[in-house]
Amino acid sequence: MNRRLLFLLPLATLALMAGFFAWSLLAGRDPASIGSVLVGRPAPRLEVKALRDDEPPLTDALLRTGKPTIVNFFASWCTPCLAEHPLFTRLATRDGAVIVGVAWKNKPPEARAWLKRLGDPYKFAGADLDGRTGLDWGLSGVPETYLVDGQGIVRRHFRGPITERDVNETILPFLKGAK
Amino acid sequence: MLEFLLALLTTVTVGALLVPLLRTSARRTERLDSALQIYRDQLAEIERARADGTTPETEAAAARIEVERRILAAANAADAATPKDSSALHRFLPPALALLIPLLALGVYLNVGRPGLPAAPFGTRPAADHPNPNEQMTPERLLAEARARLAQQPDDPDALSALGEALVLEADGSVTPEAIEAFNKALAQRPDDPRAHYYLGLHEAQSGDSKAAVARWQALEARSPPEAPWLPMLRAEIARVSRAAGMPAPQAQTGMPTPTRDQVEAMQSLNPEQRQQAIRSMVEGLDLRLKENPGDRAGWLRLANAWRVLGENAKAADAYAKADALGPLDTKTLTDWAEAHVRQIAPGAPPPPEAVAVLERLEKAEPRNALALFYLGAASFAAGDKPAALRRWKTLLQLLPADAPIRGLLEERIKAAE
Repeated sequence: MNRRLLFLLPLATLALMAGFFAWSLLAGRDPASIGSVLVGRPAPRLEVKALRDDEPPLTDALLRTGKPTIVNFFASWCTPCLAEHPLFTRLATRDGAVIVGVAWKNKPPEARAWLKRLGDPYKFAGADLDGRTGLDWGLSGVPETYLVDGQGIVRRHFRGPITERDVNETILPFLKGAK
Repeated sequence: MLEFLLALLTTVTVGALLVPLLRTSARRTERLDSALQIYRDQLAEIERARADGTTPETEAAAARIEVERRILAAANAADAATPKDSSALHRFLPPALALLIPLLALGVYLNVGRPGLPAAPFGTRPAADHPNPNEQMTPERLLAEARARLAQQPDDPDALSALGEALVLEADGSVTPEAIEAFNKALAQRPDDPRAHYYLGLHEAQSGDSKAAVARWQALEARSPPEAPWLPMLRAEIARVSRAAGMPAPQAQTGMPTPTRDQVEAMQSLNPEQRQQAIRSMVEGLDLRLKENPGDRAGWLRLANAWRVLGENAKAADAYAKADALGPLDTKTLTDWAEAHVRQIAPGAPPPPEAVAVLERLEKAEPRNALALFYLGAASFAAGDKPAALRRWKTLLQLLPADAPIRGLLEERIKAAE
């Protein structure tokens, strides 16, 4: 009798897993969203070498100027970065946003060539070649974008490329409201 | 090599099926043999013991009977384990399988296989799939070509647009500032350059202004001739961008619904009267859709043409007017429109003012248009402007071939005007 119950074990495991998968699919949660612990907290340390030649390294002071700042991690090898890039160009030129760009795990000459070809929307650009700063910032990959208010508090964390809707519904109100 | 491998596989499979069948019968006879061997040994021992006198005669006889009984039992057991029919099966199944499987495979192959089919190497595919690989349109190549053209003609809008396009291709589809500059320069030379407008719209979509992009593209769509090669892609892009931006999907070009194959076949089985009725109901359906969605210029043009062909000239003229309000018409369309108007005129009567308006536009676009000359002459005549009427009619008379049937009527009219 006991041995027979033992044979039911794989079946029960299967049912349990199917139930979990069904719940995951049907509960309407976004499986891609892994949240962020940074929102509402002071931005992590920003200490990277400058991407462009003859520029001073980036420091935390850039994030505590009293003006809202957008911090964008990108890489020339990343296709979604290509898609969101015109949006940053527009934010920089049309909306006067201060954007800090950090080339993550990207060789500086390649990142510079990429920016030269597509246009450079970054007021400050850093190179995080070994990904150490990305680690501090809780990066899961590129592109990721943080909205940091004038006091250096992270207000919003986008994982993945920003979209037109993000710009209109979140970023522009943030830039206006935090000023 | 492959054929050999396949043959080997078949052999192995058939072998794997045959081996157990042959093995079981062999094993069974072996077991019986070894049992009999033991009993034989036992019988020999009993006989030896009896001869020695170590076993009394009666006991030896009982032991022998016992062993013989076991021999019979073993033979019975072997017989029971090999029923007659199964032994027949064992005999016939292996050769049958060995023959049937290859035969079956051969049959399937003869049915399905096409041994004469030539291989389809890369080079012999239709040229459309693979244009000459030596002339592949790499962005670098396009860029070099456009720059070479610009070196000769710095203001050529085609070359400027081509340069912009090459820059976009080089940037993996992102419309870069450099490309925008090229497109703007092209537009300065030719304000309606479709390629420049398309890519500037793409830039607007990429930089978060989907509304402007869709508006620009829709204007381009309305300007484009109906057979423009870029229209399908343009419409797909409009749909994609407005969907991505969460805008209400733009009304797709309604137009005439393309009849399905079934509908065409059903149409062919109708008699002429029913067919006319079916066509009319389709055109009326288009009319209704356009009333709900009056901004569809191409749809109005198609409707106007359909009514004109069906002889509904008043409805056709209306539809042309609707299309006209949405965008300028070419001379051919103006002619059709004017024709729809003048066909409603009773013989001998002057054209009404709406018709005159269209005819005057047609005359302006094409001063030697026979239709415009004839009916505008009639309008001038009716309005009492005889010199204008004479001028138009005489021009027309010169244009007409010598054997035109209308000549007599025209000469009569000219006489009356003089």
